[in-house]
Amino acid sequence: MEIKEKLAKIVGAKYVLDKPGALEVYSQDYSLTAPMAPSYAVQPQSSQEISQIVKLADEFRLPLVPSSSGVHFYGASIPSQGGIVLDLSRMNRILEVNTLDRIIRLEPGVIWQQAQAEVNKHEGTIISPLFVHPRRSVVTDYLEREVPTSPVYEYAEPLLSMEVVWANGDIFRTGSASAPGYPDSPSKGANPQGPGLDFFRLLQGAQGTMGIVTWAAVKYEYLSLLNKVYFMPFKKLEDAIEPIYKIQRMVIGNESFLINSLDLATVLAEKWPQDFDKLRETLPPWTLVLVIASSRGRPEEKIQYQEEALKDLNSKFMKIEMLTSLPGVPGLEKKLPGMLRNPWPEKETYWRLRNKGGWQNLFFITMPEKVPGFHATFTQVAAKYGYPVAEVGCYVQPIERARACRCEFSCYYDPADMAERKKIGELYAEAARSLLNQGAYFTQPYGVLADMVYSRATGYVAALKKVKKIFDPHNIMNPGKLCF
Amino acid sequence: MSIAREAYRALESIVGPEHISEDPVTCRAYRTKSYRRETAYETICMAPECVVMPKTTDEVQRIVRVCNRYKVPYTPTSTYWYATSSPKKPNELMIDLKRMNKLEINDKHMYAIVESGVVYGQLQQEALDRGLYTMVSGGGSQVSVICNHINQGWSPLNYRTGLIGRRTLGIEWVLPDGEILRLGSLALNEDDYSWGEGIGPDLRGILRGASGWMGAMGIVTRLATKLIPFQPERLEPTGISPDTTLMLPQNRIRWYNFNLPNRESLERAMYELGWHEIAAAATKVPVLWRYIARAKSKEDFWRLWSQVTPEEIASTHILRILVVGYTSEEQLDYEERVLMDIMERLGGEFRRTKPSDESWIKNADSAGMWWMTGGYVSIEYVIETIQHGVKQGVAIADLKKKFVPPLVNDFGDPGWFQAVELGHGDYSEFLTYWDPDDKEYYKADQMYLETMKLNIDKGFYSSFLNAQPIWLTGPAFGPNYHLWQIRVKKAFDSDNLSNPPGLECYDEIVERSDHLTRDWEKGSMEEVV
Amino acid sequence: MVNPPKLEQYQYDMERCIHCGGCRWVDHIYTPGVRFGVKCPSIARFEFDEYAAYGREEIGLALLKGELDYSPRFIDAVFQCQLCGACDAGCKRNLDLEPLLTLETLRARCVADGQGPLPAHKKVADNIAKTHNRYGSPHKNRPQWLADDIKPAAKADMLYFVGCASSYTATSLAQATARILQASGAEFMLLGGEECCGYPLYATGQVDAFIKQMERNLEALKKSGASTVIVNCAECYKTWRVDYPKVLGKSTADMGFTVMHIVEYVDQQLKDGKIKFKNPVEMKLTYHDSCNLGRLSEPSIYWEGTRGKYGCLEPSKEYRRGTYGIYQPPRDILAAIPGVELVEMYRHHENTWCCGAGGGVRDANKDFALWTAQDRLEEAQDVGAEAIVSACPYCKENFSEAIKNGKEKLKAYDIVELIAQAMKVRGGKR
Repeated sequence: MEIKEKLAKIVGAKYVLDKPGALEVYSQDYSLTAPMAPSYAVQPQSSQEISQIVKLADEFRLPLVPSSSGVHFYGASIPSQGGIVLDLSRMNRILEVNTLDRIIRLEPGVIWQQAQAEVNKHEGTIISPLFVHPRRSVVTDYLEREVPTSPVYEYAEPLLSMEVVWANGDIFRTGSASAPGYPDSPSKGANPQGPGLDFFRLLQGAQGTMGIVTWAAVKYEYLSLLNKVYFMPFKKLEDAIEPIYKIQRMVIGNESFLINSLDLATVLAEKWPQDFDKLRETLPPWTLVLVIASSRGRPEEKIQYQEEALKDLNSKFMKIEMLTSLPGVPGLEKKLPGMLRNPWPEKETYWRLRNKGGWQNLFFITMPEKVPGFHATFTQVAAKYGYPVAEVGCYVQPIERARACRCEFSCYYDPADMAERKKIGELYAEAARSLLNQGAYFTQPYGVLADMVYSRATGYVAALKKVKKIFDPHNIMNPGKLCF
Repeated sequence: MSIAREAYRALESIVGPEHISEDPVTCRAYRTKSYRRETAYETICMAPECVVMPKTTDEVQRIVRVCNRYKVPYTPTSTYWYATSSPKKPNELMIDLKRMNKLEINDKHMYAIVESGVVYGQLQQEALDRGLYTMVSGGGSQVSVICNHINQGWSPLNYRTGLIGRRTLGIEWVLPDGEILRLGSLALNEDDYSWGEGIGPDLRGILRGASGWMGAMGIVTRLATKLIPFQPERLEPTGISPDTTLMLPQNRIRWYNFNLPNRESLERAMYELGWHEIAAAATKVPVLWRYIARAKSKEDFWRLWSQVTPEEIASTHILRILVVGYTSEEQLDYEERVLMDIMERLGGEFRRTKPSDESWIKNADSAGMWWMTGGYVSIEYVIETIQHGVKQGVAIADLKKKFVPPLVNDFGDPGWFQAVELGHGDYSEFLTYWDPDDKEYYKADQMYLETMKLNIDKGFYSSFLNAQPIWLTGPAFGPNYHLWQIRVKKAFDSDNLSNPPGLECYDEIVERSDHLTRDWEKGSMEEVV
Repeated sequence: MVNPPKLEQYQYDMERCIHCGGCRWVDHIYTPGVRFGVKCPSIARFEFDEYAAYGREEIGLALLKGELDYSPRFIDAVFQCQLCGACDAGCKRNLDLEPLLTLETLRARCVADGQGPLPAHKKVADNIAKTHNRYGSPHKNRPQWLADDIKPAAKADMLYFVGCASSYTATSLAQATARILQASGAEFMLLGGEECCGYPLYATGQVDAFIKQMERNLEALKKSGASTVIVNCAECYKTWRVDYPKVLGKSTADMGFTVMHIVEYVDQQLKDGKIKFKNPVEMKLTYHDSCNLGRLSEPSIYWEGTRGKYGCLEPSKEYRRGTYGIYQPPRDILAAIPGVELVEMYRHHENTWCCGAGGGVRDANKDFALWTAQDRLEEAQDVGAEAIVSACPYCKENFSEAIKNGKEKLKAYDIVELIAQAMKVRGGKR
């Protein structure tokens, strides 16, 4: 029996794709990664099916590349060595909404708009990355450690227990979901740790190289009904840094981030391109956004004490302009909390792609105080490649009360213009190298970043390879990614 | 018996003659009692043949390499609070890490870098001095921060601080073979401890699990842990031993006690606090602890406890809540109002409490657990949901009836539980006490083993999976988590030198104990590939 | 303890130690952080576990069970300790075991078995036997501290027991003490032919010699007719107040006399308005709690009974936990002196760090004694003090020597010097 037939036997012929036309969608994504088509794409619907596919792939030593939602920005799902793409889009069930413990259990094909709509019914929201793509997979975003806009929850990290199919085909539950009989057990999967090892950590940031996650339990939080938004405009990036530290240290507000005028205009323009051009002129160069949100009890009072504290902090230590509406964008203060707690509207072009159709970002973890230095470096490299400095997007996401931040620089380009693609690719690589030299920490080294980063961490790589060999001895899980 | 002369000389040249000893007096001193030594662990624990005290990571690395070269089994220890810190094989080297006691705090970015010898009380005070805090684990203020971070890490303050596995940042780790593994941002920049994740797959994944390796996976020499914003007022130490306490600035920190009408309303109240995103800790403590707190001496405790009735236990549903005005005094007032709203709805009766903290912010009265009986062990502790904690507590309390006496009768009290991560989870712990001189002392061990079987039967989670026989727990959880762990162990410690018998420690205890019986199939680590 | 002390009496305590480290660390409530976070000088200095109470309890137990024999390391571990009692107060914060009595008994056992004490301790014992003072100085020189202006009564209800240090090496302290008493209007007598209190004997396990010394002193006191013994030395204080009754199997309250430290007396006089501090002492000071005046000075309460289920004592016993040591009087005195700015060190009251001199350590291992003092000086300097004040001549002596050897620009005083100065009596020192 040929592989195709074997796959068909597992998932049904309808869900095995091998026609070039059908496979093209898996060969590329929104990144600059070179296209590569798989030999097959299969669309399983259960862990048991995945287990059989994995065993088959292992038997034939075929690469197996998971693809959850079909919206990919970093090339992680492009089968760089061919093989089988495991398209998980049919695994899009919400398995459980546990309103007592505020946990939702999702398959990897569940996308943001689907998940948020479900938890919204229970006055809940899953804290999410900035204006997240509506069709991105929630599970993938948190497996890939995307950073949410809310630094408020000290315990961070929404991800809890999960189920995984290992490269040997074993189906395994991590964390407290590992308890016998789960989910028909007192254990609700609320503890990500254990059993024995913190398997969830090995699966995070792995781009599917360690195993295939088939569902994950994720925390959700209270969806605030009452909000007050503050916009703090800055002419210079440097001036925005200390306020970030001061406000966060005082434990004020929920969502908060710093964004430059280009990125903010890209988000806020309603009519394209007229609004965009106008906003770029009127928006302050940098805006620090802070959403003060209510909780379930006495909503006004919760807003009030935070506002008072913010004003007190400002009058004593910051003395910055704090606006309750953004000039030129009437009504934003009412709209923004909803925008932040819902994915980007599906009917509109995703904001990252609105500007020129193509978007390449370079992001890393650092400390807020180091951001101006990184910004200077990035813009210098951009200028060197003839990329206009004014066209560099920048978004800084404080993490955990500004203990750290995710810093992101964006370049926008026309994906059809091959010369521009090449230039952006070169700019990206050089900028990454320069930022790395400056201390940027790339925790998710996609594509060309992988070699760059791992070559400087030989001890880590040696241990990582040892672990990989245990979990995937034949390197069938998404080979060619990271250091594998 | 002694370790090979070549090995001894090599070790001596690493640390200098003043920091190594194989004198029988030294070795015997390291055979001291510690947590769980009064249980079946006693059958396996022994004195080391040599003790070495490194000062730096470089020394630790060289020591571990010598151990690998000469096949010397070694047990690392920092504050030696757990019987697993005891050598369990002949001719062992004990690596005492108490000299490694550096502590650095990055105030602005809210993390502390600690070495193995730094204890919680020290870290917490340094954090409080900066308007930050960490949680002091149930193990107590005298427990090594590193050791606890890679093993346990629970306290009521987890309500806000979250699971400890989420709080570790850069880590420097001497693997069992002597290689140094640096985790998080440290992997790229040797002086950057600020971030814990990655690069790519996060190798913190092999660092611990629900309760860690108990020293069987090399030695963590430096670890950075997150600190959390607290409030600016000083917590004033007052009193003289044994009645020392931290006076809480009442404008910023207050404890509240409420007696709820029944267990269901107590559970509901704990949920409601999280749903309303208020409070800094919420915990239900065993009634027995309240008597300990009241007693002036062991004798006084027994006088008081002898008067307790099952009815009192059954009708006592006290929820103890800490509220902190992190942002301002107004925050505290706001949260108090919301708290009172909740309690009014649920019929919570406010009880007077002291404006001070003896137990949780800086301590956890762990050592006091032995005070009134001399024998204590936590039969179970686990992070799961509040509903899980309540059900498991009731089930274990029911199981316990079989073992009373010799275990102290607490009349069905379901143990200690508390909300974590704003009510998304729960930490629960079931403690038992007995007189070590009781001829049936071993029933504590029997109950311990029975509890795990209960977990397996009923589908409860446990943080003790590795502190139980892994050939019992392994097939049940995951399933077969133990096979992965054995493979990791073999990949990194092929000679099983790091705190042997390591993963099979409790399996070996069951084999040796006259009072424990194996009724499950035992596999072989050698056969796991 | 009733002579001869038996190690078996403390088997329960040795067995029940759980290695929590309460004997090593400063009470968590008071811990300042890593630096100054340890209160046991012995484990801080020697680092191996046999130098902490938890390790000593294990080796003591091994000795008792015949599983470990005497060796130089054993003796070293047992005697490299000031018996400062930090461990004891710490243990009783958590467990109410008796690590200090255990160690005292272990020392006595070593001596009884011919394995101890250390040679230097034997020399001190010889000195006491021959010259009735620890230094071996002629006994006739003992009263030489008496200055012309000091006029003790031939007979009085209050007896000033001067002690070896103040009689021989720190005579200014004896003079200051006597002048304070005189200036306050107190009538006091001295013990003709005063001898050592016996502290160096008891602390080093030389119980037989100690008992002889105690009996001589008690006999002398009886003959004097005095009912109050006043001292300015913390070692003498603890010996008279605690160890005599303990060894006799009595309670302090049943001894028929009162023991008072000069700070208790002055504090009372101040509060009664009988003493006034007129002369300012412009200085930033920190007060060092002498172990023997602080956590170890609680009266001895004799207990006899049995241990039952859960280790409960029948009848109940009053635990000596260091709670009621003499802590506040010296602080109140210093605070009452005009010009004094009093700052607290991190380790104070029952968490005090020993000056280093006690337990026979200064006699047998001066390096360790001075190392210990040095650590305390660094602490004093860390809190910004210009001077460290104690209420025991041995503390002052040890600090002074450490200051001479070290870099700290501190001064060391005994509290009587400052009291005398504040009262404008002669003998005050600046």
